Amino acid sequence: MLSFLSFLLFHALIACAYASPDYHERLLLRPLPQDALLASFNFRSNETAAAYEQQNFRLFPRSLGQILQHAHTKELHLRFSVGRWDAENWGQRPWYGAREGSNGVELWAWIEASSEDEAFARWLALVNNLSGLFCASLNFIDATKTIRPVISFDPEGDHAGTSNLHLLHGILPHEVVCTENLTPFLKLLPCKGKAGISSLLDGHKLFDAAFQTMAIDVRPVCETPGQNCVVEMEQTVDMVLDIARSKRPRDNPIPRPRPIEEIECDTSKSYNAPDTCYPLDKKTEPGWKLTEVFGKPLRGACPLTAAEGPESETLCINAPPERTIEVNTTGHYTKSLSASDTLRCYKLPTGAELDLVLPEQRMTTGLIRGQPHLYAARSINGHGQERGSVQAVIKNPSPTDAVEFAYLESLPWFMKPYLHTLRAHVSTSSEDPLKETYYRPAVDRVRGTHLELRLVIPPASTLILTYDFEKAILRYTEYPPDANRGFDAPPAVIRILGPFQSADRKGLYLRTTPLLLSLPTPDFSMPYNVIILTSTVMALGFGNIFNLLVRRFVGADEVPAAGGLKGLIQGRIQRVKGRFGKA
Amino acid sequence: MAPDSTHKAALFAALFAAAAALRLLLFQAFPLLPHRLAGRVELSTPVSSFKRLQEGLYLYTHNVDPYHGGVYHQAPLLLPLFSFLPDASSSPFATNLLFTVVDLLSAHALAQIADSGHAAATRLFKSSRQGLRWSSAAIVAGFLFNPFTLATCMARSTTTLTNLFILTAMAKACQGASTTFLLALSAASYLAMHPILLFPPLLVLLYDARADRSKTTPNALAFTAVHTLGLTVISGTLLLASALLTDSWDFLGATYGVRLLLPDLTPNVGLWWYFFTEMFDSFRDFFLGVFWLHVASYTPGLTIRLRTQPLFVATTLTGIFAIFTPYPSVADAALYLSLVPLFRHLFPLMRYTFLASAAVLYASFLGPAFYHLWVYAGSGNANFFYAITLVWSLGLSIIVGDSLFAALRDELDVQRPELRDKEVKRI
Repeated sequence: MLSFLSFLLFHALIACAYASPDYHERLLLRPLPQDALLASFNFRSNETAAAYEQQNFRLFPRSLGQILQHAHTKELHLRFSVGRWDAENWGQRPWYGAREGSNGVELWAWIEASSEDEAFARWLALVNNLSGLFCASLNFIDATKTIRPVISFDPEGDHAGTSNLHLLHGILPHEVVCTENLTPFLKLLPCKGKAGISSLLDGHKLFDAAFQTMAIDVRPVCETPGQNCVVEMEQTVDMVLDIARSKRPRDNPIPRPRPIEEIECDTSKSYNAPDTCYPLDKKTEPGWKLTEVFGKPLRGACPLTAAEGPESETLCINAPPERTIEVNTTGHYTKSLSASDTLRCYKLPTGAELDLVLPEQRMTTGLIRGQPHLYAARSINGHGQERGSVQAVIKNPSPTDAVEFAYLESLPWFMKPYLHTLRAHVSTSSEDPLKETYYRPAVDRVRGTHLELRLVIPPASTLILTYDFEKAILRYTEYPPDANRGFDAPPAVIRILGPFQSADRKGLYLRTTPLLLSLPTPDFSMPYNVIILTSTVMALGFGNIFNLLVRRFVGADEVPAAGGLKGLIQGRIQRVKGRFGKA
Repeated sequence: MAPDSTHKAALFAALFAAAAALRLLLFQAFPLLPHRLAGRVELSTPVSSFKRLQEGLYLYTHNVDPYHGGVYHQAPLLLPLFSFLPDASSSPFATNLLFTVVDLLSAHALAQIADSGHAAATRLFKSSRQGLRWSSAAIVAGFLFNPFTLATCMARSTTTLTNLFILTAMAKACQGASTTFLLALSAASYLAMHPILLFPPLLVLLYDARADRSKTTPNALAFTAVHTLGLTVISGTLLLASALLTDSWDFLGATYGVRLLLPDLTPNVGLWWYFFTEMFDSFRDFFLGVFWLHVASYTPGLTIRLRTQPLFVATTLTGIFAIFTPYPSVADAALYLSLVPLFRHLFPLMRYTFLASAAVLYASFLGPAFYHLWVYAGSGNANFFYAITLVWSLGLSIIVGDSLFAALRDELDVQRPELRDKEVKRI
């Protein structure tokens, strides 16, 4: 009887899930130059605001929902990232950088609170809870790593009904993102990596990628202000795979040269021996299969996605129309073409595996890639462990548009910038590109530096931003175990304010790489020696002066001859001599 | 007499002109030298660095409270003073001129101290060797052309201002000028806090000078009370003016709090930074208390024991500051080493002159080299520079102790002339 009831309930639930397609997922594959492949996974689920408030969680994960409600968090953005997006070769960033994070872990949230102190207390509760949920050291985001950005971030959601929202932002640049963060990430998905596109996500390939970022975004979305609101949760994974590297079998991962017969040699060169070869560039797109590059098969559609319509096509590939794509499956699938045939989307079969096979092919048309709005690079100048300067080079490739952007730096307290040395210089114009500055200086061991700049860069020019900084020496207990590796300084976040605008409210972002800061280190092995030696010098100084102050001078002949051991021995000798003398 | 004084005035004019010319020439000929020197940890400490002063000025002129950050730890009244000058990074001449003038004024005060003759002969004590002395011109030349003074001036460290006020306070105390003495000492204490410890010996010096001048002895208790009150009022006024200027009392924690609690462990020539880098956290507060108590303990002891020679006590205290304060620099040592020649009559009684001068020279040459090995070359570690700061402190403390021995021995010669040139013992 009980089992029958639960069976009924199960079916009712599934029917309910089918009735409202509140869950969307999509994988977009895009071949990039130099044999790279961008895979963008996107999972989106909605929960009505009323159900969310009543803790009636259906698609929204209960573990995360309860944390957010406990910490009064209205909007959350969490990023786990590794690697660097090579904008020079790969072009525009996925999602225009809006779903990208700084290397390591980055977190920002809008928290409802009546005062700044209360907001900070809730922020600490949030990071500690998320730390447990995601197996990451998020609890190390304390006051020294928290800033309150002014112009770099705007809420993505609708917050008409709530007031007193506080934006807090923290970065952990040293955090090593790895499989222990992927497992809880997959658990938040309704299909949990068992079906649908998430079945392709595998820790070995994801964290072997040249660039990867995992994002979680929670925001309230309303149809009309304050009405028909839903809480939207979006999970995104972007990864850039090196196809040749990914295709290596796991049990034999060491790359070996191909047999010479398979290589096309440059015959215009002279060779001394038959076993030498200058390989020719093949000028072909490499062949690959989904199962090869992801290491796992795609296990059919997730049953929670829409059954028909464009939402049901969850696998898309963005390649020139002439590229051959074969579909390898036993189940039923459909295919549709859009965007002048450059986008091919597939509806996955249910309960059957599907594989895409792209053979090696010589192409006549180039790959599709958008041009970034800005290029940015940041580095540390100078040498030595005492001081240095940071140089950010930002290039505007557009020949016509001046770009306005916000530049955000969040620096650790032991890296002390000198704001009077801040210079923004554009080669092509004499106008000062620096329009506005928000600066909150660091206080030792209490908080870090928060620097936010609004800059304008003229068309087709390069802006060079520099400032000097000094490195502090820390107490020996404040150094990590690998002190001589150096400390990570978080990347700069650049947000494009105009004239380009994103279609939605996500904004246009790019992030630089993090910096490695080598600090002067004390000798960790000798606290006792230092205490003893310093104390000895102080005792010598004090003892000498104290001795002089409290003692009295007398003539050397006014006191009995040398005391101590010498005097004692001399006295004995005298006495013995005296005795013998008598005898 | 008249031709002699004109001759002396001409000599001083020549000395001052040469010193000013040398400084301005160095500033002009090597425009990068001040930046180089300002970056040296031996010359610029977190509480005196010119670069940090510039950062504070920048924040101050851009309406950011400089004391809300962890970089600027210097006195608030320096901000309006330097904000009148043109920006030092684009047109440094006015700033350079200011630091040159500060050095010349210090030299002038030193000349006044030397001329007063208080070093060898005070109201209650006349040294038996008081004929043995250097002329004030020689002492001033020793100050102005001392490489340590010169380097400090080139680095534009604000310790030069503190030194100016300390020397002025000494000079005014020698002359018996109460008001200017109190003003100068308050200014020095306001800038650097520890010069307040010079108040007892300099008050005795002032009392002696006043008694000498008026040939009557004022009531000691009333004299002390009035001057303590005066010092409190002037210091209070300076602090209040600072609070009004910055609209809060936060500057107290960022200036004096930093000196007391040592949150910034940037290396310097003193003994504190490495000790507190390596100190166990649970003992940090205890040792901070002990170290400060240690510095303060010298003032009463020396003042009571050498009550008859207050100028010597004040000089010895400047030496102790150069060794045992939390953020000492070469500038503090330069002040002490310029004051020591006033006591030329004690030199024959000193026993370890060679050892002490060798240690100081050794440290001055090897210090920069070992710092380079640690921070830039990476072929040495922090212990290299730490060892040199130990030698430097040891060398200075030998000079302090040895000169104290000489002063006490000199005193004994007056009390018991029959022991002169004989071997003595301490019991």
